[in-house]
Amino acid sequence: MGKFWVIFVASISILLPFLCNSFSPETPTNRRVLVLLDDFAVKSSHSSYFNSLKLRGFDLDFKLADDPKIALQRYGQYLYDALILFCPSVERFGGSVDVAAIINFVDSGHDLIIAADVNASDLIREVATECGVDFDEDPSAMVIDHTGYAVSETEGDHTLIASHDFIKSDVIIGSKKIEAPVLFQGIGHSLNPVNSLVLKVLSASPSAYSANPLSKLSTPPSLTGSAISLVSVVQARNNARILITGSLSMFSNRFFRSGVQKSGSSTKYEKSGNEQFLTELSKWIFHERGHLKAVNVKHHKVGETDEPALYRVNDELEYSVEIYEWSGTSWEPYVTDDVQVQFYMMSPYVLKTLSNDKKGLYSASFKVPDVYGVFQFKVEYQKLGYTSLSLSKQVSYFVSHDSGYDFSFETSLTSYLEETCNRNRSSQKSV
Amino acid sequence: MARRLAGFLVLLLVVSICEAAFLFQPISDSHRSAALELFTPDHGSFKSLEETYEALRTFQILGTEKKPDLTATACRSISETVGSSSSTAKDLFYALKANSITECKIDKKASKGIISRLNAAVSGASSLLDFYYSVGGLVLIKDQSSEADVHLADAEGVFRSVKAFSQSDGRWRYSSNNPESSAFAAGIALETLAGIVSLASSEIDQSLISTLKNDILKLFDSIEKYDDGALYFDDKLVDGHEYQGPVSTTSSVLRGLTAFAAVTAENLNLPGDKMLGLAKFFLGIGVPGDAKDFFNQIDSLAYSLKVGVSTVLGSEVPSLTVKLVGAFSSGSKDASLVESEELNFDKTSGLHILNDLPKSIDVGSYTFVFEVVLHESNHEEVYFTGSQTKVPISVTGLIKIENSEIAVLDSDLGSIESQKKLDLAGKNAISLSANHLQKLRLSFQLTTPRGRSFKPHQAFLKLRHESKVEHIFVVGNSGKQFEIVLNFLGLVEKFFYLSGKYDMELTVGDAAMENSLLVAIGHIELDLPEAPEKAPRPPPQPVDPYSRYGPKAEITHIFRAPEKRPPQELSLAFLGLTILPLLGFLIGLLRLGVNLKNFPPKPVPATFAVLFHVGIGAVLLLYVFFWVKLDLFQTLKLLGFLGVFLVFVGHRILSHLAAASAKLKSA
Repeated sequence: MGKFWVIFVASISILLPFLCNSFSPETPTNRRVLVLLDDFAVKSSHSSYFNSLKLRGFDLDFKLADDPKIALQRYGQYLYDALILFCPSVERFGGSVDVAAIINFVDSGHDLIIAADVNASDLIREVATECGVDFDEDPSAMVIDHTGYAVSETEGDHTLIASHDFIKSDVIIGSKKIEAPVLFQGIGHSLNPVNSLVLKVLSASPSAYSANPLSKLSTPPSLTGSAISLVSVVQARNNARILITGSLSMFSNRFFRSGVQKSGSSTKYEKSGNEQFLTELSKWIFHERGHLKAVNVKHHKVGETDEPALYRVNDELEYSVEIYEWSGTSWEPYVTDDVQVQFYMMSPYVLKTLSNDKKGLYSASFKVPDVYGVFQFKVEYQKLGYTSLSLSKQVSYFVSHDSGYDFSFETSLTSYLEETCNRNRSSQKSV
Repeated sequence: MARRLAGFLVLLLVVSICEAAFLFQPISDSHRSAALELFTPDHGSFKSLEETYEALRTFQILGTEKKPDLTATACRSISETVGSSSSTAKDLFYALKANSITECKIDKKASKGIISRLNAAVSGASSLLDFYYSVGGLVLIKDQSSEADVHLADAEGVFRSVKAFSQSDGRWRYSSNNPESSAFAAGIALETLAGIVSLASSEIDQSLISTLKNDILKLFDSIEKYDDGALYFDDKLVDGHEYQGPVSTTSSVLRGLTAFAAVTAENLNLPGDKMLGLAKFFLGIGVPGDAKDFFNQIDSLAYSLKVGVSTVLGSEVPSLTVKLVGAFSSGSKDASLVESEELNFDKTSGLHILNDLPKSIDVGSYTFVFEVVLHESNHEEVYFTGSQTKVPISVTGLIKIENSEIAVLDSDLGSIESQKKLDLAGKNAISLSANHLQKLRLSFQLTTPRGRSFKPHQAFLKLRHESKVEHIFVVGNSGKQFEIVLNFLGLVEKFFYLSGKYDMELTVGDAAMENSLLVAIGHIELDLPEAPEKAPRPPPQPVDPYSRYGPKAEITHIFRAPEKRPPQELSLAFLGLTILPLLGFLIGLLRLGVNLKNFPPKPVPATFAVLFHVGIGAVLLLYVFFWVKLDLFQTLKLLGFLGVFLVFVGHRILSHLAAASAKLKSA
């Protein structure tokens, strides 16, 4: 019996590192998500959103934000792959979780969703600031829009906003057009202009402003117009993805189901766009869209299949790479027309757009430039909403023997000398 | 004006149907559609009878018309459970519960068997849940079949053994060896005890019941409260697997209370505001997405909170009077704007209607205070009402905008340089120009439909430079007149000394203003002085994310053009010239009389001589290969072998020649 225990413990300890990783191309499924709440009532009032995540295979672990037992990592291993902070009023996290722990969690490639609300605590604001987003400093301010509000029977202060200023990116919010406006009630935030990683996904209309609806304004509000971001996302350089919004209620069942009619418009939608928008956005956040991988980088002379040790001037070469996108269940071929390869030594000598066969294989062929040196094949692919690809492969320099130059005596003599020198140099190098 | 009235109708509808919950979304069609979504059976049936019962009960209460046809499948599983001898008390309990709604036919023989099995379960029960299921099952059988003779032999003994689980704070334990107590268990216990009382063949000791009533009151001491007055029960054992969440716990307590109140003749004397708080809690949670919570919400509302619920669910309202006690302008807490006024009741539509809006009420937001008075005093025992209900109301209207104009003024004289009228309702394309010594003045008037001054929450003038740097100014007012004067001399630093075209935008908006607007006025060409050295720089503007990425322009390598070659004749001439020394060398050799007379005639030295010359030829050939193909290492390696070979054969042939010449000399 004791033996079995030893085997059991040993196998667990061996498996543990594989069980709890961030998004990894090898085991992208079975992802664990920690959901921190102010109150367990949110679990029930926002259950549609949670259910949509559960149905997609996520394992949600609900905890109160001040639960003394919460921890993001144990023995140096992260216990979760993603974190959802639905706890706008938490003053201090329980357990070992603090701002630094959350930032480390993201720095190691994990995803994060933050929903703040009116009277969001300093702690939540601090987490957001670390992510490149600043909530309005006035604690009682809300986003108000007197021309873009949602018509409602019970609320008359125009803080319930119907917005449809979405980011124009199919990969982030899905290719299906979101017809109905999205309902938002909460605080606005602004993006740090020098931070190029944070993107405004849903912005307020030009007539919106952020202020306390109950008090008179004497000074101009700090946030106005479409500079106010309602929902933002961040894609860090390590491909960790973050969603930040100033409205917890936009995730609620009530907003998901509620009909919406934007002021000044006669169209009344049966259902707000919240469910579609937030579900599609969560697919992006959890890497079910827009996560690319490149495999099988190959290059060879046209007509051959093996990778040569070196190319000679005026060889025709062919470069190919396979690119796939994660769909949530499998790697699907990625089809686009803007992947480019650079033939690079200090600066690109050749930059060519790769053509694809619609099955993920991208290729290009070109003539080797008549410059000697050590070159790199470089693919630097960056596109809005996609993880960036950065591939480089080094190849040896290029000489010409039997092709290119003709062998008239005097030119041959110079090229002979040049070649001998080069050859000696390279021999030294390889020694 | 029409819209204002419509707003009132809606409002009063809400007020009249439920005083406790007008601020929340009452039970509505959204609940019905949610119910259909949540209770969708897998392949025609639910996972367990418990879920089946919850679905059936929810549909029954909500009166959902399009309910999926569950009765047939439910009946099948009910009769299976009832007929099977292996089913537990819990299964039987939920089967019977579901049957109370579906009213399927249960075999008489089977029901006899159940009674005896449940009776045995009661006497063998050791934990609260055992009691709950078995007693509950017996009560259900008693309700469902009038013929069956169901009673507990030792009701008082069972009652005492259940009562043994109670704790001093009004909470209950699940079993005697589990020290943790919970409010959820208290609800279950109350329901069980109520069942025992109704099953008892003889009267239960009144002292037992009165101690139980004390327990209930103690339980209410542990009630928890939200800021908005909603009350709920919750258990603090976060770890325990029995933890149910506030909705389930509160619902359980309420179910227990109702059941208990139904069997005891006495009044429980629960404070009305507590019940109101509980109703508020259930209505305030909106539409839960979890089927269990949803069921608990609906069930509690239907069972226990008769006022809130029966009216919310659309039944008749008892006759009552709604009085408008006062209306206060929000912000000022002083005198009421209207006198106490009774609302007229419209029999046909069932609405209480305030006929005329008081004259003193203009656009803005107000707090109306309503009072509900029940006509018949015996209703007061059954219904709880909120004493005074405060309703925030926004009265909206079209605000008139007049006399809007924009002007550029000379600073020192104040004389008007150029003045233009604006039409803030339409399109404007004003084009002005000014320098830093001038001022810009924008003015307009706002009046309410009743001709009073109106101060909107939002009155901003926005100036946006070509480089997207924005400046926002609040337009101030004195009475009806709104005016803003921008003195550019004092603003140059704030404008970062940026000369050029500024777009102007005016935003006027308020919650009470139906025609809130955002108009582009036009642009002003500012001529500001050069920035001094230490002037602040304008803040960086966000980069357009769409232009940040995207493919780059392609680069193709431009190959070196082939060098210009001399004419072929010239090359050939030079080739001839380079060959000339070779010719001269050959001629020189001939002139010197080179011959092969010394070639050894004997076979062995002749072989060495041939090999030596072949070796020399091989070295020359190696050079050719080095030129064409081989690299230095390969060449040197081969040269090494060839060199040794050449030294060997060269030495042999030379020594032979030396020996031959020595022989010649000595001879």
